[in-house]
Amino acid sequence: MKILLKEKVQDLLWEINSGAQVYCPQRTENGDVLLLPLGEGSYTGEVGKIPSSAKAVLFPQTENILLFREEKISKITEAEETVVFGVRPCDMRAIAFTDRFMARGNLVDPNYSARRHAMTCIVVACNEPPSETCFCKATGGKLFLTDIPHDVQLFDAGNHFIALAGSERGKAFLANGHFESATEEDGQKLAKIKERASHAGMATNGIQNATGKLLEDKVDDSFWELLANRCIRCGGCAYVCPTCTCFNVHDYPDDSGYVRCRSWDACLFSGFTRETSGHNPRPTQGARLARRHEHKLKFDVMNYGEIGCVGCGRCSDACPVGLGAIEIIDAINKVQEMTKR
Amino acid sequence: VAGLAAAFGSGAMTNSIREMDDAGAFFVIGSNTMEQHPLIAARIIEAVRGKNAGLLVADPRRIGLAKLATIHLQHRVGTDVALLNGMMHIILENEWEDVPFIKERTENIDALKSLVEAYTAKRVAELCGVDEQSLRKAAELYARSEKAMILYAMGITQHITGTDNVKTLANLAMLTGHVGFASTGVNPLRGQNNVQGACDMGALPNVYTGYQRVNDLTATRKFEKAWAVDGLNREAGLTVTEMVHGAETGEVKGLYILGENPVISDPDARHAARSLKKLDFLVVQDLFMTETAKYAHVILPALSFAEKAGTFTNTERRVQLSRQAMTPMKGCMEEWKVFCEIATRAGYPMSYESPEEILDEINTVTPSYGGITWKRLETSWGLAWPCPDEHHPGTPFLHKDGFARGLGHFEPKEYIPPAEVPDDEYPFLLTTGRVGPQFHTGTLTRKVSILEREAPRSVLEINPADARALRIPEGGLVAVESRRGELQLPVHVTPDIPEGSVFGTFHYREGNINELTICALDPVAKIPEYKICAVSIRRV
Repeated sequence: MKILLKEKVQDLLWEINSGAQVYCPQRTENGDVLLLPLGEGSYTGEVGKIPSSAKAVLFPQTENILLFREEKISKITEAEETVVFGVRPCDMRAIAFTDRFMARGNLVDPNYSARRHAMTCIVVACNEPPSETCFCKATGGKLFLTDIPHDVQLFDAGNHFIALAGSERGKAFLANGHFESATEEDGQKLAKIKERASHAGMATNGIQNATGKLLEDKVDDSFWELLANRCIRCGGCAYVCPTCTCFNVHDYPDDSGYVRCRSWDACLFSGFTRETSGHNPRPTQGARLARRHEHKLKFDVMNYGEIGCVGCGRCSDACPVGLGAIEIIDAINKVQEMTKR
Repeated sequence: VAGLAAAFGSGAMTNSIREMDDAGAFFVIGSNTMEQHPLIAARIIEAVRGKNAGLLVADPRRIGLAKLATIHLQHRVGTDVALLNGMMHIILENEWEDVPFIKERTENIDALKSLVEAYTAKRVAELCGVDEQSLRKAAELYARSEKAMILYAMGITQHITGTDNVKTLANLAMLTGHVGFASTGVNPLRGQNNVQGACDMGALPNVYTGYQRVNDLTATRKFEKAWAVDGLNREAGLTVTEMVHGAETGEVKGLYILGENPVISDPDARHAARSLKKLDFLVVQDLFMTETAKYAHVILPALSFAEKAGTFTNTERRVQLSRQAMTPMKGCMEEWKVFCEIATRAGYPMSYESPEEILDEINTVTPSYGGITWKRLETSWGLAWPCPDEHHPGTPFLHKDGFARGLGHFEPKEYIPPAEVPDDEYPFLLTTGRVGPQFHTGTLTRKVSILEREAPRSVLEINPADARALRIPEGGLVAVESRRGELQLPVHVTPDIPEGSVFGTFHYREGNINELTICALDPVAKIPEYKICAVSIRRV
């Protein structure tokens, strides 16, 4: 156990930044606090809940993945060392979830994997939920990490953080001179913080009940069609979701050939599941909305034994028409049991 | 712009977007808001869902918002004036009008009363093809809500009666006192990020900046002085559609087209292409090669929003600063520099240091933009005009203490049928519009793979009953023919379009619905009647 004075955080980050790209929450000119490369905003010590998760560091919104040059096709897998400071426990859980998805047997995403191996995650645990839309606990998460792999976890103890290593890489990180030895008092403080945090946050928002209803096929098509009438098809829910990793690829010409680029995609777009023949297995917006939420709350349970939602609530923060996970769970719970499809 | 200017003295959205959160009711007519202004639609949806606001949608098609509406009036295309006159008849019949407002703030109410007298609910219901009971409920919902906002777009203006449609909407708002207060008003939703700005800057044939008329001597003198010239032309020029017509007749010899693609976007598009061919000299300035640029003698490059600095004026009259995010591509320069070069070579030396210096000039010659300075824009989210001086906070809603023209003027209008209606030879009514993922002629959006994937091809929407009668399956190919041309398009069979009508878009150069549309113009605004023409359909 070490401690890190809050006044030393910036020095620490700048020091590390000489050997690795540091990302941390920073305030922009427009007043938003975003996860940005160090120096692109101003570090104010705020972590809060960043509107978009650490997903983009591992899986950028757009990236070139292949180069086509005359007779040769080559992969582009560039990964620089990164240190992400201010990852929240829910985000770390999402990364663990994504790790599993991105490396299944011999199916390994080389770009994600290269970045993941070069990434150090400095988690800042939540003493209490940073926003009203947080419901990690209801999804089986915690406000601080116990069994999810991570490198370092920091606990907010007022004017300093209490730091614990979660991995070998984390131990090496704590060897940096900006960290100081912890006292016995810090140990007691930590126990108190954990004790309080384990009682904070909403224990349920009906998600288990909603999942049960979906698993038993008790929600029919008309339910989804009715909700989907208000969807404006912006795809924002998928973009901000820390566990959504669907992407589209397209090729474009450059000066000496072609480049294949991949970019985030969203299951609420009609072209997402449309086949070359023109047939679309998810032909309506209702079917697409159902697919999105069933994927998280039903199919992931069937495939992995756990839901694919970490309860960060970002989709509910972002959706302009109230179709985030919180509202959907609520609606499923309110709906009368329906006839099976 | 012309219709609202006649009624209120100012042609722009009267109120602002944020005010939608507090409206008690919305009347959306001729706007497919969820497709074309999705974030404005989101505000409406949230007000309806979260605050129980009423939503009245009048649209011949069952558009997205119609599915969430309290009342959907599916009136026949082109019967807007009749529909609105009918609503006003019902309002007067039930004494739901705002008597003090009419008395204090308006004039010419008697003319309106006597005109709408003949528009009984029964007659209007028949004429428009709507249910009489729904019409009555609609009138009540709009009139009796404390704060009600009218929102409209091209579904209102792209008719030969476009100006009449707008004036009639203004009549309705004045009759019920739904203008001049927060969360009310008559609100045209503009289709581009800066089309309001272009109008404000006088990119119209009859005005200088801020709608100062070219035939007004004081205005002319002011600009002559500001630009140190004599004898500025005091006659209004030509509108876009008149220019294209002029090219055909030989009256117009040269054209300089910027960021517009009339070969696709003009009505009777083949005619537009033929006309442009006749020009002695055509210059086209655009971001990409367009169908129109193919006819040009000179093509000039343009800059995207990210490559330049300046201001955009959005639909709610809000002027916002746009900063340069990347350096222009090789061989390109800012459009304003191009204009300066051309003016200089044409004999009027023109030079500015920066967009900021241009805004300084706008501030001096445009009263409504007087206080919208670069410095203030740098530290704000923008300012809504009128903003006459540096200390003025901007104007979220217009006509608070009186209309720009003094008293609001009722301009009663009779219903006039469209220029071309279905007959035996061309039995279907064709109406046109847009889809969310594509923008206009697709110069930009068709280059974005994910948008192109969302809406990859031009389709003709047809009602299931008509499809059955013509024995056309979903996706089947039909030949659509009008008096102007013929197109082959696959159909999309949907109950969202009424029987006897079909719907198509102008986003695609292959399958451009404007090869069929008619160049019949509104006599005042000269906007073509894109929304109605007659076609025949056969299976191929």
